[in-house]
Amino acid sequence: MRPEIREYNFDWMLWTVMDTGYKAALGTEKEFRRVLGYAPYFSGIIGSIANQGEPGVTFLKLAAKYYENIVKVHERGKKLALTTFCFSPAILYAMDAVPVTLEVLTAFAGLTWKRGAFDYLDYSVERGFTETACSSQRGSLGAYMAGLGSEIDFIAIDTAGICDTNANAFSFASAYLDKPFYQLNFPAGLTDERTKHYHRDDYKALIAFLEEQTGNKLDEDKLREVLKELNRQDEMLGELEEMQRLVPNPLPGTFNLFIYAGRFMFAGWPEYTELLKSMVKVVRQNVEDGVTGISSGREKCRALFFYIDHFSLNLRMWQWLDLHGISHIGGILSRFYSDNVPYTRGREEEAYRIETGDLDMMIDSIAEMNARMPMVRSIRGPYDAPYMWLDDALTLGKLYSADCMIYNGTPGCRNTWSNVKLIAKDLENNGFPTHIMYADAFDDRVESWEATSERLDEFFKLRRLV
Amino acid sequence: MSIVAGCDVGSLTSKAVIMKNRKVVGSSIIKSKVKPQESADKAMCDALSSAGLGFDDVQYCVGTGYGRNKISFVDKRISEISCHGKGANWLIPTVRTAIDIGGQDCKAIKLDGTGKVENFVANDKCASGTGRFLEVMAGVLGIDLTELGACSSKGRSPITFAASCTVWAQADAVKLLNNGTPFEEIGAGINAAMASRVAILVNSLGIAPAICMTGGVAKNKGVTDALEKIIGHRIQRVRKADPQLAGAIGAALLALENMNGRGS
Repeated sequence: MRPEIREYNFDWMLWTVMDTGYKAALGTEKEFRRVLGYAPYFSGIIGSIANQGEPGVTFLKLAAKYYENIVKVHERGKKLALTTFCFSPAILYAMDAVPVTLEVLTAFAGLTWKRGAFDYLDYSVERGFTETACSSQRGSLGAYMAGLGSEIDFIAIDTAGICDTNANAFSFASAYLDKPFYQLNFPAGLTDERTKHYHRDDYKALIAFLEEQTGNKLDEDKLREVLKELNRQDEMLGELEEMQRLVPNPLPGTFNLFIYAGRFMFAGWPEYTELLKSMVKVVRQNVEDGVTGISSGREKCRALFFYIDHFSLNLRMWQWLDLHGISHIGGILSRFYSDNVPYTRGREEEAYRIETGDLDMMIDSIAEMNARMPMVRSIRGPYDAPYMWLDDALTLGKLYSADCMIYNGTPGCRNTWSNVKLIAKDLENNGFPTHIMYADAFDDRVESWEATSERLDEFFKLRRLV
Repeated sequence: MSIVAGCDVGSLTSKAVIMKNRKVVGSSIIKSKVKPQESADKAMCDALSSAGLGFDDVQYCVGTGYGRNKISFVDKRISEISCHGKGANWLIPTVRTAIDIGGQDCKAIKLDGTGKVENFVANDKCASGTGRFLEVMAGVLGIDLTELGACSSKGRSPITFAASCTVWAQADAVKLLNNGTPFEEIGAGINAAMASRVAILVNSLGIAPAICMTGGVAKNKGVTDALEKIIGHRIQRVRKADPQLAGAIGAALLALENMNGRGS
């Protein structure tokens, strides 16, 4: 790691970028541009987010708060929990713990800095974590391993049996940082009674672990409040996802990012509800005006990202899609399978429902919600739904009138690379032109964005999609 | 008086060194041929001729490098890691970390005060941290390796390259050239990408000063400068002999030890 990188903490840098961006965006347009002039390295990302109007500015505010919570966690007498994106932070918030979600931080590094999380990615490898592991954890994990962040107090995840490379990253972190570690398990099924009982016991053990680590007893009323807030958020997400079905799609592409980043970072925060409200307002207006969320005003093609997005500098992927008139109609990251969304209609038994009656009901709700988080649900393929990824991609493709499907992931993603070519073949057979991106969503050094975008360009043109 | 030789047959270049009383009196560096024996014969002939000696004058010869098992005339074959360690110690006696970047691999070697290997790590993946990477990329830019090294001091905003795959990095370089990106920026990016890969290796071993680089890439100032910045330590420049000869020098020194019955 370059010595200068060690001069500032990683989470502190992300906080200052987002916080400065938010404060600058509160000023007049002239003031905003002037401030960005003093921050040439960060002006791209701040400008791209703030350009989304009120939702963008609110997102900056929330992101700044999220990072500030991490930076000031011990000063405020709280505990810092290392966790993963497919584990809803709601229960951590209910326990007054502060989550630090590795994948989110790595993605933000890629979006914010020209050199992304490169130094941190390499540091993990230097310390013995394999380069063939998923880069989403490896990046920010490197920073925390190097001591360039607030000290982690404990680790809680839910990827055992879901993604081995994800689970191993946290297991490695536990050993390397010498921190207590709780890992929720997933039975082979998704909807049966045995699974429900297993989860309930497992989550009770998790709560006992969290109580021990945070020193706080679980406050049922607080948990109820967080879950009620989540319910309100799910209702709004349902409306947004319903409107996304319209042709042309009224959602600006970056709203997908706001949706899932928000879900991973601020689920259960009242401020996230405000963010969603402001997004709903923009999208409703677009629907009323009959216009697309694409800035050029003309939707040429609708692309469903059936895995994850590409977190290259300054939201370049979203900008590229926008420039070419391609609607981003969501991906696996932005689908949460509550009973409010269009894609669970008619298959309600597969959806989760938030019930806040008693503690067991709340635990069941959290367990069901986590079992349907991105990757946990779709990629796992439980025994009662072995073709889930393919089924989900086809269902979403048809429901959202996709013209094509795009895969992007990381080279370390064994879960998807093991079968993505078969899935792509099946998607093609079902009439969806499908493109596999060979890039790494979190590391531009694997394939540069320039090369990736040229391949995308070829795909869209040669398949006559634009 | 002892006359010994070391012959290092690598994947890209073959080197031979003749030493008389621990001093280099003749050497050669040639491009490797298809057959290792032919490379060894040619390198050895050239080195002997530069020393004004014949093959019969050599009392002991050690072979090393990728092609060492195919050289018929050597008395002993020793791994290049041991030879590079020994050679690095002769070139810079205070060295404790030697970074050897060869044509097809890259190694970080931890040494004791006598040049004996204490530990080492070698690259486990593609060619992007090796001499071949630079050779391919210089070819794309249409410049020689010396010019590529100089790019780092001229490029103001180095390009970020796909550092884990030579083929894709090559594709990127072609696109950038076609887009009119100055070749200095591309060259600087290539050197920085190479240095990043090597830094992972060096850091994973743990750095103990003094540090030196051996192998042909040690002559690329752009890579050594970038590597210094990443690892945060000064890399001692080798001046006593061509750093590309380090393996062959080490082989010759080990030949001397073996001849005197001190070899392991």
